[in-house]
Amino acid sequence: MVERQNRRQRILIVTLVIICVLLVTVYSRESKDGLFHRLQRFSLDVVSPLQKGMSKVLSPVKDGIGYLADLGSANSERDRLKEDVEELQQEVDEGEELKLENEALKSMIAVKESRTDLGFLVVDVIGANPDIWEQTVQIGAGYSDGLQEYMAVLSEDGSLVGRIILCTSEASVVQLITDDKSSVGAMLQANAEMGVVKGEGRGDVRLELLNQDADVKTGDVVVTSGLGGTCPSGIPIGTITEISERRADLSVGIVIDPRASLTRLDRVMVVVSPPPSTSPMAAEGGG
Amino acid sequence: MVHRRLTFFAVLVVALLLQLTVSPEIGIGSVKPDILLVATICWALFEGPGQGALFGFCAGLLEGIFSTAVLGVSAFAKIIVGYFSGELRQRVISKSVIWPMIIVFFGSILQELIRFATWALVGLEQRPPFNFGIIAGLALYNALVTLVIYPVIRHFTGQEDRALMFP
Repeated sequence: MVERQNRRQRILIVTLVIICVLLVTVYSRESKDGLFHRLQRFSLDVVSPLQKGMSKVLSPVKDGIGYLADLGSANSERDRLKEDVEELQQEVDEGEELKLENEALKSMIAVKESRTDLGFLVVDVIGANPDIWEQTVQIGAGYSDGLQEYMAVLSEDGSLVGRIILCTSEASVVQLITDDKSSVGAMLQANAEMGVVKGEGRGDVRLELLNQDADVKTGDVVVTSGLGGTCPSGIPIGTITEISERRADLSVGIVIDPRASLTRLDRVMVVVSPPPSTSPMAAEGGG
Repeated sequence: MVHRRLTFFAVLVVALLLQLTVSPEIGIGSVKPDILLVATICWALFEGPGQGALFGFCAGLLEGIFSTAVLGVSAFAKIIVGYFSGELRQRVISKSVIWPMIIVFFGSILQELIRFATWALVGLEQRPPFNFGIIAGLALYNALVTLVIYPVIRHFTGQEDRALMFP
C-alpha cells in the first residue's frame, strides 16, 4: 500500500517536472506575441485594479516599513543629516498630505513649463514586481491612455525613473534605471562627455564613459544624452558619488546616486511626446 | 476529500492574492516576502511530499503567469522545495515553533539556487547578478512571515494533531 502510494507520488513529481521543462522551453522560444507572453499581459491587466486598491489601503504600512528600513542606515548618514535637520524639520512640520501633494503637483508643473518640447502624462504607481530580481514598478495607465513601450518615465521632480518595458490596455510595467538590464544613453552636464548609465540591480547605478580619459569628478551631474531614441535629452539622472581606480579593462568605475527617489514612487510622469523612435538595446524582461 | 481540495485551492488563491498585492507593499529594500513559497512549505509540512510538490507546482505556475519572468522556472523550483519540505515532515519530531521557520529559511535559499541554476541551464541571457545577501534577506523575511502563515494554514487544513509536531 505504502509502496504503491510512493510510486504514484514519484510519477506525479516526474510529470510535473516534465511539464515545467516543456513550459520553460516553449516560453523561451516563443515570440513576444506568443501564447504565454499574451497570457502574462492579460493577467497583469486582470490584477492591476486589485493592486491599485491594495496599494492605497497599505500605504500607511508601507510608510512604516520604509521608516524602519531607513533606521538601519541612519547611523552612517547621521553627520550629513545633522546639517539638513533644520531644513527637514520645517518640511516635516509642513508634512500634511495635501500640502505635499500640492508641492508635488507644483513640481510637475515646473517640469512641464521647463520642458515645453515634451508632452507628459501623470500616472499613479500601483505596485511593484514581487520578484526580487526585477527592479520594476507597475503604473496605472496603458496603451488605452496613449502609452507605449520604451517611453521614458520621470519622477515628480523631473528626474529619470526608467522606461516602460511592457504595456497593456490599463497598466504598464516600468523598468527602473537601477535594474541590471537597464541601459540609458547619458552625458556629463559639465562637459557633454558621452556614456551609458547601467543599473546594478541593487539600487546602484553606474556610468560607463565612452572617452576613458574624460575629465570627471564627484559631484558632476549626469543627464540623458537623447541617443538611442527612447529618452529625450537633458533629463537629470543623478550625481556622481564615487570614482574608482582604473580596472583591468582600463575603464573607470563611476557610481551615480540617482536623483529620483526610486523606492518611494507614488506618482510619475510619462513622456508621451515625442514618442520613442527606436527600441533600446537591453529592455527585455528577465527571469 | 472535497474539503481538502477546496482548502488547497482556497490557500493557493489567497496566497497568490497576498503575493501580488501585499508582498510588494511590505518589502524592505528590494526584498519582498515570497508568500507563495511559505504557503507551499507550510502545506507540504501538513500534507506530505506529494501534496507539497503539487502545491508548489500550482503556486509557481501562477507566480509565473502573473509576472514577467520565464514561465516554469518558479514552478520547477517550488516543486523541489515542496517535495523535500514534505519529506522533512516525516523526519522532524519537535514541539518547537522554530522548525517551520528554519525549514522555510533553508527552503527559500534552495529555491533561489534552483532558479539561478535553471536560468543558467536554459541559457537566459539577461539573468540578474547572483547576490547571496539578497537571498539571505529573502530567506530571513520568509521565515518571519511563517510565524503568521503557518498557524493560519494549520487551522484551515484542520490537522491540529499533525501540527503538534510544530505547535
